[in-house]
This record gives sequence, C-alpha cells and structure tokens, in this order.
Amino acid sequence: MRRRGFLRLGLLGGGLLALSSVGLGMWPALLRHAPRRKLELLDEMEFAVLAAVAARVVTQPDADPIELAHRVEEAVRFGAPESQDDFKKLLRLLENGFAGMLLDLRPRPFTRLPPEAQDAALLAFRDSRLALRRSGYHALRRLTAAAYYSNISTWAGLGYPGPPSISVPT
Amino acid sequence: MSAPGGFVDAGTVGTGKKYTPEVCIIGSGAGGAVSAALLTAAGHDVLVVEEGGHRTRKDFNMREDVAFAQLYQEGATRATKDLGITLLQGRTVGGTTVVNWTTCFRTPDPVLDHWRDRHGVRGLTSADLAPHFAAVEERLSIAEIPLADSNRNNRLLYDGCKALGLEATPTKRNVKQCMKSGYCGMGCPVDAKQSMLITYLPDAVARGATVLYRCRIERLEIEGGRVVRARGQVLGGPSGRTPTGEVVVIEAKRFLVSAGAINSPALLLRSGLGGADTPIGRRTFLHPVVGITGHYKDLVEPYYGAPQSIASHALAHRGADVGLFLEAAPIHPVIASTALPGFGDAHRRGMIELPNTAAHIALAIDGFSPDEPGGTVTLRPSGAALVDYPIPPRIWEAFRFGLRKLAEIDLAAGADVVRTGHDPSIEVRSVADLAKIDAAAYDVGRVSVFSAHQMGGCAMGPDPKTAVVRPEDLRHHSVENLHVVDGSVFPTSLGVNPQESIYGLAHLTATRLHASWGQSG
Repeated sequence: MRRRGFLRLGLLGGGLLALSSVGLGMWPALLRHAPRRKLELLDEMEFAVLAAVAARVVTQPDADPIELAHRVEEAVRFGAPESQDDFKKLLRLLENGFAGMLLDLRPRPFTRLPPEAQDAALLAFRDSRLALRRSGYHALRRLTAAAYYSNISTWAGLGYPGPPSISVPT
Repeated sequence: MSAPGGFVDAGTVGTGKKYTPEVCIIGSGAGGAVSAALLTAAGHDVLVVEEGGHRTRKDFNMREDVAFAQLYQEGATRATKDLGITLLQGRTVGGTTVVNWTTCFRTPDPVLDHWRDRHGVRGLTSADLAPHFAAVEERLSIAEIPLADSNRNNRLLYDGCKALGLEATPTKRNVKQCMKSGYCGMGCPVDAKQSMLITYLPDAVARGATVLYRCRIERLEIEGGRVVRARGQVLGGPSGRTPTGEVVVIEAKRFLVSAGAINSPALLLRSGLGGADTPIGRRTFLHPVVGITGHYKDLVEPYYGAPQSIASHALAHRGADVGLFLEAAPIHPVIASTALPGFGDAHRRGMIELPNTAAHIALAIDGFSPDEPGGTVTLRPSGAALVDYPIPPRIWEAFRFGLRKLAEIDLAAGADVVRTGHDPSIEVRSVADLAKIDAAAYDVGRVSVFSAHQMGGCAMGPDPKTAVVRPEDLRHHSVENLHVVDGSVFPTSLGVNPQESIYGLAHLTATRLHASWGQSG
C-alpha cells in the first residue's frame, strides 16, 4: 500500500476509535459473561465483549472465557495508560453495531451474534483495509490465547512436557 | 576498596530520601552495569537506579506468564504505535541481559566503518574496541558453542543453510555451566547465563555501589547546562509498577543514562531536552523480525536446548536492498500461541504441532540507507514512551525475500510444511509453493512482526543537529555532566545481536570517563 493511502486509512482508523462508543446505547450489549472479580480497568460491557472474544479464540472445552477475560485485563494493565484506554475503545468498536453496519454491514452488537457470526466479525477485522482493525484483531487474539496457554493444565494437550527439573551447579 | 554497597528496594528508604553519589547511573542493563562496575573499580562512588524489581534465580520458575509480568517492559505487551511491531525488552535489575537468548557478537567492522564514514563517529575502530571486548568476553565467559551442542531447532537452520550453500556458523554465548534448559527468555534458573544480574552488578556492589531498584526516574533537572538532580518515583503494588507516592532525590556530580533505546530518549524528552532542533528520539532502529514455522515428522522440541546457537549472515549484504540475518527462535506455549495465526480450531491445529515445530527468523538490518529514517520515540500525555515505526517499503521487500529464503531453508532441512507469520498463514509444501510468499500481502497486521533489539534514539556523532551525544565520551552535546551509555547511541542498527556491542562500548567509555574525570577532578 502506498504511504499516502496508509496514512489516510490510519486517520480514518483513529477516528473510528473515537467513535467507538457512538450508538452503543441503542442496542445494549448482552452481558452473558459477568465478571467474577472486581474489575480494575474494564466496565461490565467491555468485559462481556472480551469474554465473548475469548470464547471464540479459544474453543477448547476446558476454556473458561470469564477467567481468560480477567487474565487479559490484568495483562493490559501493564501497558501505558493511553494503551489501556485504546484497548477499552477497541472492545467498544468491536461491539458497536453502528460501526459494524458502517464497515461490515453487521448491525448487531458482537455480544448478540451467534458464534459463527462472531467468527465472521473477527475475520472482518482481520481482513479489514484499516490497519487499526487488523492490529486490534491480533491484539485480542494474542492476549486471549496467551492467557489460556499460560495455564499449566493446557500443556499436556500440546505434548509439551513443561520445564525440566533443574539442578543448580555448585 | 570501599565498603560493600547493596541492592536496595526503594520502597524501604523512606519518602524524600536524598542520595548524593558522585555518579548516578540510570538503568542497570548492559550499559549501566558495565559502567557501574568499571567506575566503582576505579574508585568512584556510584548509585545505580533501576525501575524494575530485583528478581533472582529463585524467582525464575521457567513460566512464561510469570516472567513476562515480572521481567519485561509493559508485561511484554509493549508495541509500536500502530501495534505493527511487538517490542520485547527487559525491565528488571540487569535489564534485558536477564531475559535475552545469550547470543554474542562483536560489532562488525563494516558497521564501525559506516558509522565513521556516514555519521562522523571517530575513535571507535575495532582496534579501539578490541581490548574492551576481550575483557568483557573473559568476565562473561563468552565462547562459541560447539555445533554438536545445538538443539534441533538450530541444527535444522544450519542443515538447511548448508544444503542451499548458505553460510551458517555457531554463535558465541555468555554462559557458564549451561544446562541448556531452553528457558533463557524467562531468566536463567541456574545462574548459568552471565547476565548483568550475576556479574558486573555484583562486582560494582562489592566495591561499594548501591543498586536502588523499583525506582523510576521521572526527570532530570537541568540548570546552567548541568544536571543538578534526578527525581524518582518509588514503585510498588503487586505488579511492582504502581507509583507509591514516595519520591527519591538524587544530587550527583555526574549522570549516566543507560535506560535502553526506548526509555533513555523518553527520559531526556521528559527532562526538557527535546524540541524540533534536537535529534532525541529520532532514528530508532529495531532489527524488525519476521519468522516461519516448519513442521517436521520427527520431534523438534523447540522449547529445549540453547535457544540460539546458529546464525547465518549470508543475506546480510544485498546491495541497495535491506540485508537480513537469520537465527532460530525458541518457542514455548505462550509465545507460540501469540505467534501462530488464526483463532479457534485453526489456531489449535498449529498449537498441537508444537513439539514437531521449528521456528526460524529473519531480522532486517535497518538504518543503513539514507532514505531510511527508522522510527521515533516521543512522549504520550502520561509521559510514557511511544515508539512509532512505520515499516518502509524497503523493509517489507526484505521481509518478502527473507520469508522466502527461510521457507527454502526449512524445506531443504526436511520440513513437510512451512508456514509464514501471515494471517491466514501462507503454507509452503514444496518449492513450487514459494511463489505464494511472493504474492502475499505485506502490511501492518497482515504478517506478524516483532523486535527484541532496540537501538538508536540518542545517536552519537559530532554534529548536535544530527546527534545527541559526542562519540568520544558519549557526553550530551550541551549538558556537560550528562552521558548516555547504552544501545540508544548507535547511529544505525548492527546486523548482529546487540548485547556485546553495548558491553564493549560501555567498557571503553567508562575507561575514558575515568581518565577524563581523573584529570578534571
């Protein structure tokens, strides 16, 4: 892509983040996944979106989307305050039916979509012409997958034996 | 010899605590630790300040999630502005040397020549550096790893290169009695890695230096062309990253900033040294990395063994095009889960192949073309560093070339399928499929890119319009008692893993500073 085109799309992407909350109240999120612990960064709507994403990124039967969402929230809090704020906006952008309609002809909020349509919404982010949406897809995907595979109980299923026993040289 | 100093938690010293050392070194990684050891050995009174915690072998439990949270900048979530490049960088006593993969190279002669010819860097020849590299190599037990000790991930890279007639050689590593566990990136659990944590920092402490950790320097106060004091925030909380409200004040005669190529320029900017006419935070280089995974019928176990023991520089010199060097990357479950493309069942299929997967990477050698400005470091409203690195077309072209070469190498080594870091992945099962890599899209978010080598941002050079510090002593051009001693002073990237270049340059600079200070008193 030519640099000028990238810049134009980048600016549009930035504007989208700013508009991420526009119209959210018209069709409220489905709060299927309620937090189990006190939230430090996200609100309940953002948490529900994140947990819904986690349920699609990790489809293993033992995956717990609510726990994954809690762990992702903890990880995001290591970042700069501005990055944390961008992450909240990203979740709102994914949920937003107004933006979904504008960009993907998908007016329903993410949390109200059936699983196959949620996958399609994530793929629309992945394949978007907007770098911001592609980067956002990867951020969500990586954070939730990392939260799942950091759990020791998942390792045997990969054939990963875990760390070796160690002996400290004297 | 002075009385021993110590490693001191800033949370225990009481708010408002004032230190008055002769030398304050900000950052305890490769540049800061070597400087601290040499200066204390020469009789200087040194305080080292580190924002990370003091984690040691007992804390290194070989778990990625624990290591990322405790030992990495922003919990390993740091990235460039457009999230196009993930930035891996240490944040602990010892800095990135605690979590790197132990690969050591001296600064290549062509790089030093380029710095002399294009950036006016005098007094930094291989002959100038040689005794300092030799001293560092002895202290850190830097030695070549025998080819027979390579793990299969590295051996496949070697075999594939050789099958194609490409140069590939064993690397040097800074280890002693290494058990080759494969967990260097999570902190060495047996203290085999000769990181700053167990070498130059204890050397400095034994001679009287204090290492004050969990203290972030917010700004340097500059009056009359001198730094008069540094103000630090004490960090605490469960993550060790939350300001407690306590402050530390340091009034030193001299200040060395060694906070790395992202945090050093950010500190200088927070201290009011930026502006349109200064190059602080410009020409940031990252050795941006793309990679492939190769699936093999036999076990590879890319998580065990010395993470990096083979490197190829066969593609480093590509005429007018951006060069590349090739290495292996260790992959454990969490890194694998972030590197493998897709989600849901597609992602899972890649994950369950982990034991049979090799991971090989191509690192772009950025900064050597006049039309390649690199990235920038600026400040976010909160004062945190913001790295912007728009990947130029020249580097996208290098990625395309590098991924194709890596795929050829893994096919030659016997992989039955090679996958690029695109999402969706490009699958290569035979030479006939290589054209798919050429035809793929290359853009932010289309292919995975990361960086573990941050350089530049406070470049050395004789001209204050284009350089932040003087080459001869890494002194700031207009602040007389401020030096920058870390990888941020490199005018370009290196084309090799940077740790030894930082050690060598710090060793040389500390030697020169002592000689200079001895004269000036």
